[in-house]
Amino acid sequence: MEKSAKHPQDELLAAYSAGSLPLSQALCVSAHIEHCSDCARKLQRLNRVGSELMHRLPPAPPSEDLKNRLFERLDSLSEDDSEAVTSQPASSIPRCLRQFIPGDYAALPWRRVSGDIHSVELCRDFNGARVELLKIKPGGSAYTHTHLGDEYTVILEGAFSDESGLYAEGDFLLRDHKDRHTPVATRDRECICLAVTEGPVQFTGFFSRLLNPMLRRDFA
Amino acid sequence: MQPMTDKRSNSDKLALLSDCLARVAHQRDKAAFGQLFDHYAPLIRAYSLARDPGASLVADDLVQEVMTRVWLKAEKYNGKLANLNTWIFTLARNCRIDYLRRNSRYATEIDPTDIFNDIEDEGPGPFQQAQQSRAESNIREGLKQLPPEQSEILTKVYLEGKSHQQASDELQLPLGTVKSRVRLALKKLEVLVVR
Repeated sequence: MEKSAKHPQDELLAAYSAGSLPLSQALCVSAHIEHCSDCARKLQRLNRVGSELMHRLPPAPPSEDLKNRLFERLDSLSEDDSEAVTSQPASSIPRCLRQFIPGDYAALPWRRVSGDIHSVELCRDFNGARVELLKIKPGGSAYTHTHLGDEYTVILEGAFSDESGLYAEGDFLLRDHKDRHTPVATRDRECICLAVTEGPVQFTGFFSRLLNPMLRRDFA
Repeated sequence: MQPMTDKRSNSDKLALLSDCLARVAHQRDKAAFGQLFDHYAPLIRAYSLARDPGASLVADDLVQEVMTRVWLKAEKYNGKLANLNTWIFTLARNCRIDYLRRNSRYATEIDPTDIFNDIEDEGPGPFQQAQQSRAESNIREGLKQLPPEQSEILTKVYLEGKSHQQASDELQLPLGTVKSRVRLALKKLEVLVVR
């Protein structure tokens, strides 16, 4: 694995900056950037690229009417509450996830997946991608699994290792359908991850393969 | 190379517009807001039309939405984090994302507000900002010198809002080629250098 494996790939960051990334993936990038000043700096420059490209377009002037209508409304405009960010200064939950996590992680309706793993689905994206949190108990394993689509993971608390290395808080991982991996949480504490999967997860162990039909049905 | 005078006039223009924004922020100056509108509305419409050619009403809506935010958020603009042009681009992008998720087959319950806004309002620490502006000044010159196939791909992604997969379908190129062209282009623009 290349050294950049703990960060979103550059083209993924560019798609985020361009706004052409599905929002489920954008959640992962955003959660990572909050932890990573290198990627935050890259993002600023990527935004600048977007701005320069926009300025190279042939201008398309609006009608005078559009301007008048806006000016008539100016005095009645006031900041709407949608912009008011739920301020939880002490929270370690990434800002982009607070829309799904009103309290803390412990208060979420966790569902047991196995002895080692609990999960909670936060939402689905337009393309069916599943956005969920996974909680792996200290030293616990998430089995060997592959994916039918890509899987984006950001570690929110704790750490885990898999075949390619050790990943800690804020690290970003992308696994495609060809990668098999077996994340194992470190022994000192539980590990909470944000995971976005584009297709159902396939467990590849002998016993857990029995689970697959159920999981697939669950995904549909 | 662009003649020096041209470069100067670009930065003069930006300084003038930044001054207008300050007057909007502190004095609610409508004439200044009018100048901002006259400069940015045609660009915002062009940005919208790049994705949805012919959709004039959608483009007008985007202008209304973005310029409304400029009026309301002028005070929050932090010139140390992004120049005004870049700030307007991010507002236009955010409004477009919001529009798409409300009105199309991209509908989703995920609210983009907190995905993009805070990150960009706060950005990296102040000690990084000095290097920032130097790196940024190369981007405009760099774009002019990109090979056509690389600037084409950036246009698809940034202006037309295409995913890598959509770009690959449209250009009949393998997905890997699309991604590597994006990477190559960004490398040439020195966007990815972490100093």
